[in-house]
Amino acid sequence: STLPAVAEELLREIKKAFQETSQVSDDLLLGLKFIFGPCAVPALDLVDQRSVTRVRAPSGRTLYQVLGSSGKLYTCYSSCHFCTCPAFGFSVLQKSESLLCKHILAVYLSQAMGACQELAVSEEQLTNILLAEEEDEG
Amino acid sequence: LCRGGLAERLCRLQNRERSAISFWRHQCISDDKPPSDKSGVLIVKILELFEECTIQVAICQQLEQSPATLSPEDAVINAKEPILKVLFTRETAAHLKSRPQDVIHIYPPWQKLLLQNADVPVIMNTYFSQKVLLSEHSEAREKTYDLTKVLIRKNIISLAQTFRLDDLDDKLPQASSDNQVPCAPQTHNADSKQHPSALSTVNDSLLEMVESQGAVGWREVQVRVVIQRVYCLPAREGYRSHAQGNKPLCATPVANSDPPNVRLCLLVQDAYGMFSEVQLRSLSSTDGIEQYCRRWEGKSCCLAGMKILQRTTRGRALGLFSLIDSLWPPVVPVKVPGQSQDSEMMTTNLPPPSFCYILTVQSGEIHVEVDEEEQISNLYQPPAVHGLKEILRIDGCNERCSFWAQVLYRRLQSKHNVPIDQRETLLFVTDSTLQNVAHGIPKVVAVSVTASCVLSAEIIEALGAGSQLVFFKDALWGNGRIICVERTVLLLQKPLLCSAAGADLSELTGPVRLDELDSTTQASSVCALRGTVVGVNESTAFSWPTCNRCGNGKLELCPQDRELLYCNHCSEVVTTPVLKMQLEVFLSCPSRSQSTVKVKVWLEITVALFVLLTMLLFLQTYEVQSVLGKEVGLLNCYVHSVTSHPNCVALEEIVLL
Repeated sequence: STLPAVAEELLREIKKAFQETSQVSDDLLLGLKFIFGPCAVPALDLVDQRSVTRVRAPSGRTLYQVLGSSGKLYTCYSSCHFCTCPAFGFSVLQKSESLLCKHILAVYLSQAMGACQELAVSEEQLTNILLAEEEDEG
Repeated sequence: LCRGGLAERLCRLQNRERSAISFWRHQCISDDKPPSDKSGVLIVKILELFEECTIQVAICQQLEQSPATLSPEDAVINAKEPILKVLFTRETAAHLKSRPQDVIHIYPPWQKLLLQNADVPVIMNTYFSQKVLLSEHSEAREKTYDLTKVLIRKNIISLAQTFRLDDLDDKLPQASSDNQVPCAPQTHNADSKQHPSALSTVNDSLLEMVESQGAVGWREVQVRVVIQRVYCLPAREGYRSHAQGNKPLCATPVANSDPPNVRLCLLVQDAYGMFSEVQLRSLSSTDGIEQYCRRWEGKSCCLAGMKILQRTTRGRALGLFSLIDSLWPPVVPVKVPGQSQDSEMMTTNLPPPSFCYILTVQSGEIHVEVDEEEQISNLYQPPAVHGLKEILRIDGCNERCSFWAQVLYRRLQSKHNVPIDQRETLLFVTDSTLQNVAHGIPKVVAVSVTASCVLSAEIIEALGAGSQLVFFKDALWGNGRIICVERTVLLLQKPLLCSAAGADLSELTGPVRLDELDSTTQASSVCALRGTVVGVNESTAFSWPTCNRCGNGKLELCPQDRELLYCNHCSEVVTTPVLKMQLEVFLSCPSRSQSTVKVKVWLEITVALFVLLTMLLFLQTYEVQSVLGKEVGLLNCYVHSVTSHPNCVALEEIVLL
């Protein structure tokens, strides 16, 4: 497959540009729009708002929590592309229309631009976050 | 969208691009020939097509020149021509209706991307693409093609294929906490005003510091601010910038087995009137909070190299903004951003803030220098202290208020499904403004202390020891209740500066009096009780011994000696058990209507008690006749419940602190 390699390279370029100049060029932003489509602007907004947190347990297990625009908290996995938001379920899993949802893209962009918050939790707390997704949070 | 943020930028770029695309397409339709400007045009011949997500991938051969200029015989696939992967969006693909062997002209601006492990370059941003027809026959063929659908293979992308942004030769020095904040960039920037080595000029704008984050030299920039308040937030609160009504960042509360973790926080204000909450290090015990308050509040300090935790708004952080509102408007004129700093430009006439940045220190280093020797800043607004009588009269909701009060009685909420460290405590308090009034307002008020209000070990100990005079700083008044929430601080010592209205409110003259039980008495309050015993409910009366050390109500008979009692919590014999008794006594209380009031009294035998119980203890039983007609009172009681049918009030006798 081609698209993941292209997406990865684009994100790497963004990271490199940000490290060197603390800026992201217009071309790169438009590239994001081209590849990721409607996810791009919302994902950048999440980064602007510093909504992404990397959650880490002592064992080294990590996951990401993204505070969505509605105030709802979504969990994204580190080891594969997965997010608990409904858009992921629909666009990525069901329709295979997108590579990612805006939350996962926000995670990558936050990594590239050093905008991730860090949260250290215990093993139990990490487990609870993962399992809590099963319940209806109301 | 954030002002000046990346999302806003992309929106603008995207809008511009969209208009350019539609203009170009319109131009293509109106001209029969493709646009004459050939520079930068990529000419490709499609070899293979497939789809991934909504992107159409075309494996193409790049052609030197337009095949229209070549004869059909020449238009043969030359294996030596370079191969490209051209990506088209769904919309462009629908417009082109490409098939293998089609020739496409791609006009600038397009982008080329070289992948790390692949030889084939990728072409993106191919919005300005047009199919070129080779001959008149093709035109006819094209029309028939339109009627048949071509099946294009769709690749399903594996979710396991994640993106690696790190390189082996990544120049970014990895911080031990794995924080990916970039190090101070080494490039020279014409706009840089600072020398990278020295701590440089001190700024006075929080907004500027926040917005310049990531730019050259931002770590060295210092911002001078005034500390308006010092308080502690519970650790999970430290990552949760929202107060009531929002979900915590961590889906579950901190486990009870972890030591209580609190973070020292400052609410600071800059010269422009803008507020920020700065979350500092964890405090292992909160003993120091009183001294931090005393040493730091009102002083100026310099912040450097802060990390932005969150930008929060009024709607998301009600608690934080209720505190900010209590400090608004500023007491001295503040600067107006963008204007030259003329004194005429300064103002106090600004709308209250609608957003606030929550900042934290970079791991490992403290970037806050408080100027303790300096004088209190003019901008500082000390808490306004009022008497409880005035506070009860405040018209409004979610108002922060500060007061001195004598704590008379403490009651822990007894819900068992709530973990101990999250239970609410009720403190019954009073002051001279309530005690000295004849009637109309209650003599004692209940202050609810929620779990999110951090109490220092000092305070907890003091409250357990006896009646205390406590300063409640920035408690919340609303819906007829005073509650202590996050950012409320309870102090034993008087803060150095506070503006008190009227006389010194701390002295109580005379013994404390409670309101007597009457028809307005509500549950979860305290009152004084006086009446005459008119009956005893024999069927519900019983007594039981409890351990005098731990209060365990389930004592057992000692296996060795059946005369003695044994407590298995303490693993010791109980030589002097405390007798607890439950008696349902009917009292006729003159203060609460003419009808008989049934009063359930749970009593614990203490030294100072009235005649009724001394007699019962001695007799190990009771006789109804000897109890009837006895006067009871004045007892201090906690009201458990009040019901009207039957007309019953359940009270427990209490001992005031």
